[in-house]
Amino acid sequence: MKKIIATLVIALCVVGSAMAQDELSFERKQAIDSLALEKVRDLSKYIKIVGSKETPFSEANRVIDRAEELFMNDAEIGVSSLGSNKITYYRVRKYMEHLMRLNYDRVEIEWYNIEYVSDLQRQPDGTYVGVITIFQTFRGYDKEGNLAYKDTTKKDITVYVKRKETQIGGRTIGFWDVLLGDMRVKETTNR
Amino acid sequence: MKSKITTVMMVLLAAFITLGGTTSCKSKKRLAREAAEAEYKSRVEQAVKDLNAILDDETLWSLEEKEARVQTIKDWNLQNAEVDDLLFQVEKKLARERAQKDEEERRAAEEREKANAADVVLGRNFNNIAHASSVSQANRIINETLDMFESPNVPVLIIIKQNAGFNDYDRPTTIEQYLNYVKDQKKATEKVHEIKYNNSGKINEIELIKR
Repeated sequence: MKKIIATLVIALCVVGSAMAQDELSFERKQAIDSLALEKVRDLSKYIKIVGSKETPFSEANRVIDRAEELFMNDAEIGVSSLGSNKITYYRVRKYMEHLMRLNYDRVEIEWYNIEYVSDLQRQPDGTYVGVITIFQTFRGYDKEGNLAYKDTTKKDITVYVKRKETQIGGRTIGFWDVLLGDMRVKETTNR
Repeated sequence: MKSKITTVMMVLLAAFITLGGTTSCKSKKRLAREAAEAEYKSRVEQAVKDLNAILDDETLWSLEEKEARVQTIKDWNLQNAEVDDLLFQVEKKLARERAQKDEEERRAAEEREKANAADVVLGRNFNNIAHASSVSQANRIINETLDMFESPNVPVLIIIKQNAGFNDYDRPTTIEQYLNYVKDQKKATEKVHEIKYNNSGKINEIELIKR
């Protein structure tokens, strides 16, 4: 009986120790929280650049490549409008190309209130998953400079943060890979 | 009669003390000479042993420790042919080692100076790219900056957090992509942490750290 208890205690210690190693310190967790938020802010800049009619075509295409790299392979971005209840989902590149070709003379896109609605939580496979919400105000102007369309959309973006390794200069570098998942439309208003 | 006996006794005692003292003094001198000879012999043996060990690289002493040891042996002024010969060889060897070490330190100082200079230039360029008034101006600075690197594909590691000697990195990128990132995001929130150079003096790896 004593042997069984001793074995159980040792086993619990080993499991506990393994779990403790998986747990990130508060400071490290904070660092990856910030990193994921930063990636979403980066995306907002990329959308702004691609949407701007002043951006040269070559620059827009380069930025689309960078934006695509922020997302998981099959991620989709939802698009809504005030005139319809329909929400259309596009693959990232399609969404960006669509944005580039919008039929306005000038486009302004602003993202604000970028924050977590669901904190990054560790999944059994070690990936941290969370949801970040953003508000996007879109303004489209006609040739005369008049505001032709405006809406504000609340969108939720799922973020995945996973620890990966790569070889650089003969060294193994462990890094945090942040990838954005689907960007779902939650609400569209004319505010 | 009594006084005569006392006088004789006193003379005998004085003679005994005098004779005894002389014998003891002679013995002390002999002992001192023997001790000095033993000390000399021991120093010669130690000097030969240490000098041979230095010559054959069999010590774990630093160059400074070896130089100090040689100075101690020279200060002993042993005037021993074997020791003098070994001293001559060891001094030549240490002079070579000193020259090599000085050269290494000079090179390291140069590298540090170069890295500091590159650090300043890169920091300034990152800032100028982020605050460029146009895309073309930013692209011009990007091209200037890329000239400092072995290739546009030089890896860039970005430390997001340092904790107890452990670094947490962002996904690695290339210098060309990083500079374009600074241009697109209009922000330079990283500073240079470490730079590595190739033989041509071009940067072939760079580590940045978030401010």
